[in-house]
Amino acid sequence: MSFAVTDACIRCKYTDCVSVCPVDCFYEGESMLVIHPDECIDCGVCEPECPAEAIVPDTADDAQRWIELNARLAVLWPNITDRRDPPADADAWKGVPDKLKFVPEAAA
Amino acid sequence: MSNYFEERVLSVHHWTDTLFSFTTTRDTSFRFKNGQFTMIGLRVNEKPLLRAYSVVSTNYDESLEFFSIKVPDGPLTSRLQNLSVGDPIIVGKKATGTLIVDNLTSGKHLYLLGTGTGLAPFMALIRDPETYERFEKVVLVHGCRQIAELAYGERITAELPKDEFLGEMIRNQLIYYPTVTREPFRNRGRVTELLTSGRLAEDTGLPAINTETDRFMMCGSPQMMNDLKGIFTQAGFKEGNHGEAGEFVLERAFAER
Repeated sequence: MSFAVTDACIRCKYTDCVSVCPVDCFYEGESMLVIHPDECIDCGVCEPECPAEAIVPDTADDAQRWIELNARLAVLWPNITDRRDPPADADAWKGVPDKLKFVPEAAA
Repeated sequence: MSNYFEERVLSVHHWTDTLFSFTTTRDTSFRFKNGQFTMIGLRVNEKPLLRAYSVVSTNYDESLEFFSIKVPDGPLTSRLQNLSVGDPIIVGKKATGTLIVDNLTSGKHLYLLGTGTGLAPFMALIRDPETYERFEKVVLVHGCRQIAELAYGERITAELPKDEFLGEMIRNQLIYYPTVTREPFRNRGRVTELLTSGRLAEDTGLPAINTETDRFMMCGSPQMMNDLKGIFTQAGFKEGNHGEAGEFVLERAFAER
């Protein structure tokens, strides 16, 4: 049982989610965050916080692919426990489709 | 474990064979907003076993209080329910949550909708003076299956109105609306039905639910939260969050296993 970050996060990386997470289960890649599915306690507090609506519960339609991606990347990346300023062009990337190509580790 | 405070149990109270509350000591540096939750638990085989619990007590109380269900074979609650005064308990330092007044825009009526243990965060909010400063009327709805599950009923109806500091605000502004689904009682029905049928507003003497004057906080099962979110979104209410206040906020009282 977990929430997961989708490609909507990529190049936006607002990190509002991190400041509300009670168990610090976010992990940081260069252009996106992921949730460690084993550490997530399913509290759901992060979901409404994301300005890019990039977080989904595992009950969402295509959640499975995101859960799998998050599980794979969370063990590669460092833990992030504090909110950071997003990149200057974050708003321009909000809602842009097909951003997975910007995450090289996703293709591996 | 530097993420946790080491506290001690001060008291335990069993409401039914499935519900209990307990109080603990509180570190003077533990700060939180009324309505938030934190991780609490025990060390089992030296590993911390934690779950998220709303804080029932207020941020100005010297001790902490929590309200819990007894999960059959639950690894944490099966131990928590047997706690004795003086037993150690760990409390997470980072309180968080969506059910805070800051996440709501201004309005006249604040509806707090809690089912089962979802009442917990609202116990703190109804003792927060700021709640009564921001809203003219506060309607506390507690939905359960049976009357015996309406925990804290006496505290709300008999003690709080006599509170030295909050009593007057509570007498004038708080409306307590307990409701059960499975036995005869003065209020009956599921929270979702009471809302959509208009009966809740009718029974409390308030105008029909509208986006101009009404704000909502909800805490209950994931299913109920999804149902209510759908109802409110369809009715034109906007969900609030830390970045942008809105007209309703919700929180799961527990996670599906």
